[in-house]
This record gives sequence, structure tokens and C-alpha cells, in this order.
Amino acid sequence: MRVDPNYVTNLVSALDAAQGREQHLTNELSSGVRFNSLGDDPIAAGKNVLLLNQIQQDDSFTQSTDLVTGQLQVADSTLGSVVSQLNQAISLATSADNGTMNASDVQSIGAQIAGILNEVESLANTSYQGQYIFAGGQTSTVPFSTSNATSPAVTTYSGDDDVNYLQTPNGQKIQLNVPGDQIFLGAKSVFGTLNSLVADYSTGTVIPAQAEQDTQALTAALNYLSQQRVTIDNSITQLSAASGAITNEKTQLTAAQTNLMQADLATVSTQLSLSKTQETALESVISQLGSGSLFDKLQ
Amino acid sequence: MATINSALNLITGALEADQSALNIVANNVANANTPGYTQQVPNWQENALVQINGIDLGTGVTETGPTSVRDRVLEERLDQQQQAASASSTRLSALNSVQALFAPDSGSSSSTAGDIGSDTTSFFSSFSSLEANPTDNPLREQVLSTARTLAGDVANAAASLNEQRASLDQEAAGIAGQVNSLIAAIAQLNTQIQATSPSTDAGTLEDERQQDLSKLSQLVGINLVTTENNGISVTTTSGEVLVSEGSSYALTTGGVSGETHFFLGTSDITSSLASGGGELGGYLTARDQDIPQVLSALDQFAYSIATQVNSLNNDGSDLSGTTGTAANPLYIFSEPGSVSGSGLSMSVVMTDPSQIAAAAQAKGSGDNSNATALAALASQGIVDGQTPSGFYSNFVTALGSTVSEVETENTAQNASVTQLQTMRDSLSNVDLNDEASLMQQFERSYQAASQVFTILNSVMTSALNLGVETAVS
Repeated sequence: MRVDPNYVTNLVSALDAAQGREQHLTNELSSGVRFNSLGDDPIAAGKNVLLLNQIQQDDSFTQSTDLVTGQLQVADSTLGSVVSQLNQAISLATSADNGTMNASDVQSIGAQIAGILNEVESLANTSYQGQYIFAGGQTSTVPFSTSNATSPAVTTYSGDDDVNYLQTPNGQKIQLNVPGDQIFLGAKSVFGTLNSLVADYSTGTVIPAQAEQDTQALTAALNYLSQQRVTIDNSITQLSAASGAITNEKTQLTAAQTNLMQADLATVSTQLSLSKTQETALESVISQLGSGSLFDKLQ
Repeated sequence: MATINSALNLITGALEADQSALNIVANNVANANTPGYTQQVPNWQENALVQINGIDLGTGVTETGPTSVRDRVLEERLDQQQQAASASSTRLSALNSVQALFAPDSGSSSSTAGDIGSDTTSFFSSFSSLEANPTDNPLREQVLSTARTLAGDVANAAASLNEQRASLDQEAAGIAGQVNSLIAAIAQLNTQIQATSPSTDAGTLEDERQQDLSKLSQLVGINLVTTENNGISVTTTSGEVLVSEGSSYALTTGGVSGETHFFLGTSDITSSLASGGGELGGYLTARDQDIPQVLSALDQFAYSIATQVNSLNNDGSDLSGTTGTAANPLYIFSEPGSVSGSGLSMSVVMTDPSQIAAAAQAKGSGDNSNATALAALASQGIVDGQTPSGFYSNFVTALGSTVSEVETENTAQNASVTQLQTMRDSLSNVDLNDEASLMQQFERSYQAASQVFTILNSVMTSALNLGVETAVS
């Protein structure tokens, strides 16, 4: 049976193939990545895109939460200061209402409450990174201003009632602000009651029924404000929980993505060693077998 | 009755036959490395018997000429397989260039520059970041810069694909010239073979014709039909005639909508050539099927993202409270006119970050609801019913699968070609060992014949010396 006289040529192409495999494995080893082109593992390439997308989204959210948490905490501590100011106003009003004070003392209490009102107004006009946090959506204009043209004075709100939410990658919505008019004006109006009290004590004469009513209204306004503060606190808690959950998710996804893409160094090294051995073997076979024919032996 | 003279003639004939056989061996050895050469074997023919006085007498041997040892069917099978292997190998190298544009992102911090998947995520995430602080200028600037990165990478990919298509076009056009010279040569060889050896194997001429046919098979998909008088008709795989007897029909090229098309006479045979095989088939498949598919997916992607983002941004209100109008739209990307070509033309037209409409219409500048809506596009089915990332993911999987399929096909076909090549070579290639032993055989045969000649000569001498005392030597 005749054999192919050129079979050594076939060995050479096998040698080429072995070298090609070696090169591929060396690439894998040096880059640490299991595959560099889509054709090597199309399904994994597709999965990789989706995993990276989720990981990057989670990353971006984590960065946002730092910014937002700061803003919410400023809002919370501002409202905390307002609460202590209002408590002071209530005790001043109560002492003025008990009828033991003389006119000038009452007037001085009125002045102190006016001072508290100014303080509360400037707290209500707090800004964070240049934006007024109690202005609803109109964050570039000062929300509260008081006009003394009438008595009692009137504090007006020039913001709106827009509420912003932050979307988490899991679809949760976290409230980012409470509009100023909801906190400080409205049915239980902080500014309304403070202005009334200032007017009540300005003449030095206390009309008991009026003053009593206004003092109780201030207490009610304080309670209402504290409830609004709870919304902010809830947001802070939600944000922290969401951030923790997202960080966990990101860790898991990163592990999955690494598993998907990373070269298994042990396997690659073994295959590389086998390939090298095969290459050496082929080379010596080729050099041995390629030599000579019957012509060399004929005389 | 036989005479000494006739024996001498007979032996002389044998010497000539041996010489002629040695000539054939020498020719084989000389052509051992000639591509396409098939080994030749000598043919021994016993000469016709002669009857003298009722006795049959032999008249020796003639060497009637060499026969090439070839298997036509095997060679045709090899050529067919070679066509398929050339086609898939050409297509594979084109596809490798295409897939290199979309190399997978390894995900480490130094991720692949130009990965469209990451760019898309970064772009939509920039809107998510904007939700936290809608009036912040650096965050707005980030929206624009991620938009520019995305548009740039998409446009670059589309441009590269167009360049690749142009270069495939050039390669394909170049093949037409090679094909034409080969079919002209084959037609000429047909004429020569039909004239010189219409009923037997044509030896070297046949070798040449086979060699040309092999080269032609690599270039373009063909079918062969053996005609009378040892001719061969060559048609394309779908039946258009290229060579018939002594005439060849050249392929012509012409431009059709910016691409090279191939014509036989007046009919455009480009699409049948694309599915026919050979290098030309590979180039045309990559140019007319694979690359357009990828480009159209990219176009769909770019179109959907650009139009949806533009439309939402236009409906919101920017930092100064302005909403987009027909005369002054608030577009981030240049609004594409149609799906086709939108990949190549994707670019960012907005330069002022304050024009990003983070707020909804008629809301204050601190509102973030439009930014939320824009960010939410990332999880809506805006690209052909899929999310942008989902679409891109399916796109890379589809492309990778095509490459993988063609690679597998190519490997299998190459293995088949190697096998057939081995079979053909073991039949038709010159084996130096065989030639050496044949040479020995003929040498001995020649020696024997010349020895017989010498003996016959001395017998003749004895005959001449019959009845004479003095010896003539």
C-alpha cells in the first residue's frame, strides 16, 4: 500500500498548530483573562456585558448616596435646631401667658420671640452646596421672607411643593426633600403662630384667650414639624439600608464576573506544558524521519 | 523459423524499451517536487506474434509511453473541499477583524478603551447621579462627556466596519482578474488536449490543466463536467458557464451603489458567487452579509438611544427653565434622520451643560424627575424591544456565535482537505524509494538484455565462421 511521500509536510502543519495553541495559552496567562475575542465564548461574552452593566450601575449609586446622605443629614440637623428654638419660644410664651409679668417684661418676651422667628427663618433658608433645601423645586431662590408691613407680620414662601426622589438600582424610590411650605406654613403654621405671638406681646398687654390659643397653636405646629422631620429620618435610614444592600449585590456580581472572565491559571499552565512537550516531540520526529531515501543506499 | 537476426532485432527492441522506461523514471525523479505533477509509469506492450510455417514466434516488447497515475474523481473531490475550506477561511479572517472591534471588557479598573457596553452604562448612570443634585454643573458636564465617549466609540466602530467592507470589496475585485487568466489558460489546454490525446490521459498537459483547475477552485466555487474528447467544461456552482470546450467567458466587474459587482456577459451573478465557495465566496459573504448585519445592529442601537434621549430631554426644562421647541430643540445627540447610517453619524451636539433638562416641564430647576426618566431609559425596552445593555449583550453573543461556527466549519473542512490531499498524494506523488527500485529493476533488465545481445553476437560470429578454418572474432 502506497503512503503519502510528503507525510513529513503534514507533521509540519501539526507543528504549526501546536505553536498556535501555545501562543493562545501564553496570551491567556499573561492577560489573566480567559478569552480575548467573542468567538472563543460567545455566551460568556454576552453575560459579561450584562454583569458589568449591573456592577457599574451599583457603583454609581453608591457614589450618589454619599452626596445625598450629606444633604439629608443637614436637613435633619437643621430641623433639630428649629425644634429647640421652638421649644424655647413655647416656654417663653407660657411664662408670658401666666399673667405674672409686667408690660415691659411681656414686651421683652415679644422681642425674644421675634429673635427666635428670625433664627427659624434663617434656618428655613438653609442651603447645601448652594441650593436651598426647603424650597421644593425652586432651589435657587430664597424660600422664606418676612414682611413687617402688617401686624402680625407675614412670612411668605416663594418655593414650590415639588418632591424629588432617588431611584435605587432595585427600583426603590427614596424621598430626598420635604417642601418648606409643608413644614413651616400651612394649617399648622410655624411662622404663622410665631408671628401671631410676636404681635400678641408687642403692646405689652396680654389678651389671655388669644395668647393661650396662639401658644397652643405653636405647640401643635412644633409637633407637626417633628412629624415632617421623621420623613427625612426615614429617608436617611432607607438610604443606608439600600446602600448596604447594593454594596453586597455589587460584591457578589463582581465575584461572578471575575469567575466568568478570569483564566484558570493552573489549567492554563498544565496545558501550556503539554503543548510544549508535544512541540518538542514533533520537532525531533520531523528531523529524524525527513532524511534519506533508497537512492542514498544505491551504489 | 526464427533467425539470429530476428533475435538481435528483438533484443535491440528490448534495449530501447528499457531505455525509454529509464527515461520515464528519470523524468519522475526530476519532477519530484513540481507542484501538480503526477507520477508516470511505463507501459509495456508485448509485440504481436508472427506465424512462420505454423509456428508462433514472439517479436519482443515495446514501451508504449508513460501513463500518469491519477484519480480524476479524487482530484475533483479534493478541489470541491478546497473551495469550501477557502471560502470559510477567508470569511473567518474577515470576521476576526470585525469581532476585534468589540473585544470583551475584562472588568478590571483598566478596562478596554472603547467598550460600547461600558460606555452605555456610564452614560445612563450619569443621569442617575444627576438625580441626586440636578443643578450641579460638574454632574451635568459628566452627562455630556459620557455621551461624547459613547457617540465616539459607536461612530468609530461604524467607520471601521465601513473601511473593512471597502477593503474586502477591493480584494474581491482583484480576484476577477486572476480567475479570468486561469479560465483562459484552461480553455487553451482544452483545445490542445482534445487535439493531441482525445481518448487517453494527456500526461503533462492534463497535469497543467488540473493544476489550473485547483487554483481556480481556491478562488471561486466551480463545478466540472467532462465532455467528449477529454475536454472539461467549467461552470460556477450555480451553473453559469465559464469554460466550454475551447472558449472561455471572462468575469467582468462593475460598480453598483458603491460596491463591486460581478457580471458574466450582462447578468449580475454576485449573489450566486457569494454562496458558491472559494475565496471570492468568502469575501462576498463577509462583505454582503456579515458586515451589513453588524452595521445594521449598530445603527439600530445608535438610532434608538439618540432619538429617545433627545425626545425626553426636549420635553423637560433645562437649568434656565426653557423647554425644547421645534425651532430650538434641546437635543443632546444630533437627531438621526433614519436608522441606516445613524451609527456612523452619532455625535453630541449639545455644548452647554445647563441645557440638560433634569427638571420636568414647568417645574423649578431643583426638580429631578426628568433626570430620573432619562436614567430609567436604561431599563426600558427602547432598542428593538430590548434594553440598551440587553441589546448589546445579545449583539456580541450573536457575533461571537457566528465566528465560532465559521471557525468550527473551517477546522473540519481543513481536516477533510488534508485527508483528501494525503490520499491524492499517496496515489499520484513521486515516491523516491519506488523510483530507486524501479531504476534498479530497469538497469538489471538492460544489463540482461545487453548480455543476451553479446551472446547472440558471438553466436552470429560462430555462424559466420561455419565451415571455415580461420576464426572470425
